[in-house]
This record gives sequence, C-alpha cells and structure tokens, in this order.
Amino acid sequence: MRKPELVCPAGSLPSMKAAIDHGADAVYMGLKDATNARNFAGLNFDAAAAREGIRYAHAKGRKVLMAINTFPQAGQSATWRRAVDTAADWGVDAVILADAALLDYAAKTHPNLRRHLSVQGSATNYEAINLCRDLFGIERAVLPRVLTVPQVEHVIQHTEVEIEVFGFGSLCVMVEGRCLLSSYATGESPNTAGVCSPAKAVRWAQTPQGMESRLSGILIDRYGNDEPAGYPTLCKGRFEVNDETYYALEEPTSLNVVAMLPELMKIGVSAIKVEGRQRSPAYVAEVTKTLRAAIDAAVSEGARYHVKPAWQAGLGKLAEGQQQTLGAYSRPWK
Amino acid sequence: MPLPDFTLPGPLAAIARHLPERPAAFAFTTALNLAKRAGKLAGDWEFLEGRTVRIEIEDLGSGVTFTAAAGRFHPVGNEPEVRFAARASDYLKIALREEDPDTLFFQRRLKIEGDTELGLELKNHLDALELPAFLDRLRPH
Repeated sequence: MRKPELVCPAGSLPSMKAAIDHGADAVYMGLKDATNARNFAGLNFDAAAAREGIRYAHAKGRKVLMAINTFPQAGQSATWRRAVDTAADWGVDAVILADAALLDYAAKTHPNLRRHLSVQGSATNYEAINLCRDLFGIERAVLPRVLTVPQVEHVIQHTEVEIEVFGFGSLCVMVEGRCLLSSYATGESPNTAGVCSPAKAVRWAQTPQGMESRLSGILIDRYGNDEPAGYPTLCKGRFEVNDETYYALEEPTSLNVVAMLPELMKIGVSAIKVEGRQRSPAYVAEVTKTLRAAIDAAVSEGARYHVKPAWQAGLGKLAEGQQQTLGAYSRPWK
Repeated sequence: MPLPDFTLPGPLAAIARHLPERPAAFAFTTALNLAKRAGKLAGDWEFLEGRTVRIEIEDLGSGVTFTAAAGRFHPVGNEPEVRFAARASDYLKIALREEDPDTLFFQRRLKIEGDTELGLELKNHLDALELPAFLDRLRPH
C-alpha cells in the first residue's frame, strides 16, 4: 500500500512554514493576482516570500506546487503565461493548471516543469484525464469532490496519472471550474477573477434580528446570536422557497476523510489535499498535524487503524458550519 | 500550553467604559509604530493609508480607532470604515496563532462590520507576519 502525499494550503509564508513544520509532504500556493482561485486582498505570495518559502521547503525535502488554476479571459492570456514562466523560474516542483491552452503553453515552453490538472479542470472520468495526459503530459489530476469511493477507484484503475483527492476543508456546491453563482451576484467568480464572493461585495451587519450577511446587497443569511456562521457565499445562504426558509442549495459543512483513510489508500490515491489557502497559520498547523498523524497511523496500524477522538475534536473545531461529512465519497444509497 | 479562555472581570469593564479611549489608542498606535520601526511589521502597509479601523474589546466595553498617515499609525475619533469586535482572550489567541480568525468568525466569537475587504486585507497582512518572539512570552508556561 503506498503512502499518499499530504498536500497542504499556504496563503502566506508563515502558513507555508507551519505546513512544512507540521508534516506536509507538499504545499500549494499562488501569486497575488487573478491567476489563482484564492485571489483575496492581502493573501498569497510576492517574489520574496515565494523564494524564501521554496528555499525553506526544499531544505526540508518537501515540495512546493503553484496553483495557476483560473481561466485566462480574452486578451489577457499573457498574464497567465507569465505566471507559468515565473513558476518555472522560481523552481517550483509542479504547476497546478486548469485551462487547456495554458496546459499546452506550459507543456511546450517548460516541458520539464511537472504539470498537475487542477480540480478546476473539472475532469471526473479517466477518459478526460488520459486525454490531458496525451495532450499535455499531466502527471497528476486533482479530482472534483463529486465522486464516490468506487468511482474514484474506477478512475485510478484506468489511468497511470496520479490521482489527488480532497481530504479536509470547506465544501461548496462543487460545480468545480464551472460555478457562476458568485458572478450572478458580484460579476466575479473563481474561474474568472479567482474569487468567490469577493470581499468588496460582502457586508456583515448586526441587526435586532441577528447578524445579516449580504453579498452585493442581496441578503444571503441571518444568524441568530449563538448560531454558527458560514462563508458569505450564495450556495451556503438560507433562502425563502415556497414559504420555507432553509439552505436551499448547500449547508455550510466541511469534508473530513480521516475515517476512510485506509479505503482511500487501498484504492491507490496518490495524494490527499487540504483546502484553505484563505485560512490562517493556526488552521494550517492544526489540520496538517492531524492529517499527518492519521495518515501515518493508517500506514503503521493497518487493520487496527481507528480514528482518535482528539483528531476529530481538533478538526471539528476548525470546520465551517461545525459539521463534518464524508461528502460524495460515501453514498450508501447508490 | 494553550492560552485558557477568559473574560475580563466585570469591574474592569465598568471602569474602562468611563475612561476616555484616546490614551489607550495612543499607547496602541505607539506600540505599532515602534514595532514597525523595529522591522517587526514587514510588508506593504500602504493599504491602510487614510483608512480608519476600529478594534473593539467586548469584555472591556472599549476599543481603539486608528488610521495610518505617511506610514505612521495615529488614533482618531471619527467613525471607522471597518470594525472588529471580540473578547480580549480571543484577540490574544489570534495573535499567538492558537486560533484561526475564520474559526472564530464561524463560532461568532469574532465580528467584522463595515468594509469587509479592508478588514480581510488587514487580517491577511497580519497572517503574513512572522510571529515575533515577544508574543510567545505571553503564553502561560
């Protein structure tokens, strides 16, 4: 049984160091612009921080992956190509790309720079993944969070491309690489501007009825005084539908695969990814530490593997909506 | 050892509520200026120029409102563009990197009102700082 790589998020240099210090095999990061899907004010890496982070990671034998996983808009592809050139220049271990033309550019211009297909590339079947391998020489694909474990296994059995799956983090409607909900309210989406619910469109206000969360003026939720809050995204809002107000699209929840790590390893998953480049070093440290311990235990304990309550308590505290789920991996009714 | 949860004693808040905020705000911004001069606030703080931020300590019933002008932080009395509110112990946990601000937001222990983008940018700039060693001395041993 191969031990999957633990891939952790880094929105800043302290987060990157926290991930490495707590046992990440690889970290992923992005530039301070729309070329990646966490284009938030003040987040991400300039040249100085990136070079220091890459030096720190490589000194400890860990990998740095750079996400350039948004879709270049008409007339702007030079910015995205420049990001790929920058990644090659800095000596990152791989680029995570979604756009076919950008994959082609990277394959032709920097053939020795390893290419991963981003979750934003939205490839959910082995035919799509193998086509990307044939066309662009991808060596890994990150699967969208919509497949059951048997479906993931089916993909793995039919491709030589390494398969990376999500292991922990906030969930959304998971129309990955194709979601336009945020554009509907704000004119920007992860695919175009690298941001879902841009902060400039978000307003929170305390009112006598509770805390209101608005996106471009649209009321998306109202939280009672002690009710847990979620991210201000349309998909996690509560809306009135047929006289009933509820989570009409998706509830705020977090994925947590700790309970099914042995299964994921048995089917041959190559890497397990943690969501959350927008989160702080404290989150990165805690999640990395816990998943490191769980993966190591799954390898060393084999059939005796069991989930330690402390892991779930630590992860549960950090979870959005404070609910954890196995997501699409487990669909017993299927 | 992690910092325990605590609420500042009620009598302290009763006193603080009646004190002018200016002296505390002056001490706070002076500390920021000193930290910046000592190179402890690396990065580009240009985004704070002329912007007004309020940090409210709920269990003290008080807070500080400040701005930046020509690269220096100053207390101000005007209406803030963005307002953070939390208990003193939660601010300390954020500073010590024991708690993630998003977690505290989900749990309703950290509130942000006003210009969310300015607030997020400030949060992300603070996250990008290497933790100064003096903060570690605040931790119970």
